[in-house]
Amino acid sequence: MKLHSVQKNFRDLMLDHPDVLNTPSPEMSALFDEGLITLPARLKVYRNNIVGSLTDLMLASFPVMQELVGKAFLEQTARSFILSNPPEQGCLTWFGRGFDVFLENFSPAKSLPYLPDIARLEIALNEAYYAADDLALTPQDLSAIEPENLAATQFPLRDSVNLIKSSFPILDIHAFCLKNDPSETLDISGEGTNIMVYRPELETQIIALKADEFQMLAALQSGLNLGDALEQTRETYPDFDIQIFLQKNLADETFLKF
Amino acid sequence: MSDYSEKNLDFPQGRTPSEPVGIGLRHPYYKEVLETDLDLGWLEVHPENYFGGGVHRHFLSQIRKKYQLSLHAIGLSLGSDQPVNTDHLRRFKELIDIYQPFNVSDHASWSASGNAHLNDLLPLPYTQETLDRLAQNVTQTQEYFGRKILVENPSTYLAFKGNEMHEDVFMNRLAEMTGCGILLDLNNIYVQAHNHGYDAFAYIDTIDKRHVGEMHLAGHIEQSIDIGDGKTASILVDTHSRPVKQTVWDLYEHAVRKFGAVPTLIEWDQDFPTLETLVAEAEKARAIIKKIQMPDQIHEAA
Repeated sequence: MKLHSVQKNFRDLMLDHPDVLNTPSPEMSALFDEGLITLPARLKVYRNNIVGSLTDLMLASFPVMQELVGKAFLEQTARSFILSNPPEQGCLTWFGRGFDVFLENFSPAKSLPYLPDIARLEIALNEAYYAADDLALTPQDLSAIEPENLAATQFPLRDSVNLIKSSFPILDIHAFCLKNDPSETLDISGEGTNIMVYRPELETQIIALKADEFQMLAALQSGLNLGDALEQTRETYPDFDIQIFLQKNLADETFLKF
Repeated sequence: MSDYSEKNLDFPQGRTPSEPVGIGLRHPYYKEVLETDLDLGWLEVHPENYFGGGVHRHFLSQIRKKYQLSLHAIGLSLGSDQPVNTDHLRRFKELIDIYQPFNVSDHASWSASGNAHLNDLLPLPYTQETLDRLAQNVTQTQEYFGRKILVENPSTYLAFKGNEMHEDVFMNRLAEMTGCGILLDLNNIYVQAHNHGYDAFAYIDTIDKRHVGEMHLAGHIEQSIDIGDGKTASILVDTHSRPVKQTVWDLYEHAVRKFGAVPTLIEWDQDFPTLETLVAEAEKARAIIKKIQMPDQIHEAA
């Protein structure tokens, strides 16, 4: 068998149902020199290395979700995700992207409708933790822009910035899970949340945003210049104060130095 | 704010460390390694853990100021029957350009097939077809980096019936075809010897001294497997989770006698011990080198 087919067949076997390892195809069995130890046992060493290490990685990346659904459920869900969405690259730093969308369609998780948004939050925290190092726009940088050019200027956000809108109070759920106090309960019928996850320096931060500020940041992140972003935001929020917005976000180091 | 932008880093070109023994740097040791003056020649990291920014790069930058560095990859998938991923090469080269490692390496194994990257070092059939493909990918990598790389012999749990040559010969031929060096992992040789019935000492004897640019030492575990009729057999799994076994130290001594005091690494990747334990393992390697007292203290890898 050609190397290409060997690798494709081996890959398919590793990502198949675990029971298939017990009865590898005659074509697959013919490839290997078994010796004393049977082929299924040898294949399982690889399978355990691959799926086990990725499952551990997901347990580490989704600690809040683990609090919500328990370790066993998350492990099982993670395994389903891994087998249908194996890593696409040799760097696993960003593995877990897409878990939110996977959960939206994962029927065993249907009874917890806020889970996809919790996944989005934890993915954003991981992305911010590993985001490229960059520098923030300073008040001096801003004052160097000619006032007549301000409206036409784009204000890109830092690489680590992730804006999340949820119809659930995911910030409260997040804090509640991390506190891990069994005597407390949380009412999740409240209002939705707008948040920003980012990493100004070395520590990741979560900030709750007002709806108008969220919309303005999203408009800037999409590439609109300051004038167009402001116009769009004021269509929904006519009283939006651009001065306060700029001051706050310069202090928070949200904008990318350009 | 602390300026962690790499634009301000200017590390000198890496050189083969004068003290040959180093340890694998993993995140639990960052602070202690920075705060302690360790009697170590160098450190090795997996570049894939530093493709992003943030805390990991911040510590790596601090630590590189104190130590020579080797970048040991696990994600190039050099043995895949497809070209090496150029995005991976680009991110890797960015680290090489910043951190100026004295050695750059990956494995004689594969992980990627099509778009799926199975995160393990998977076994290759030792055939001319594989050798040609692997050599093509090693050459692609060396040309992209503009430098020589080292390729490590793997631990495997399966052997192919269609093998056309032994692994030791395969490694020598790869080095001859591409000009790459060999990163000789003594624990992997021991694991292979057990799992596939090789003679580990003969393996070392076959490897051409000119190619060896680094050696690795690590621990493994033994898994007992039921083979029916109430009998069991054992398979060794390269877990990097235990101290180096005495039998592997014996192999190391044999290797040092042949290859000299090549840069040698203690690897530990799971069930992390204290840094003290890791340094004590490094001390054992140094004691073996000292015992053999090579007059030419350091083998030039470059």
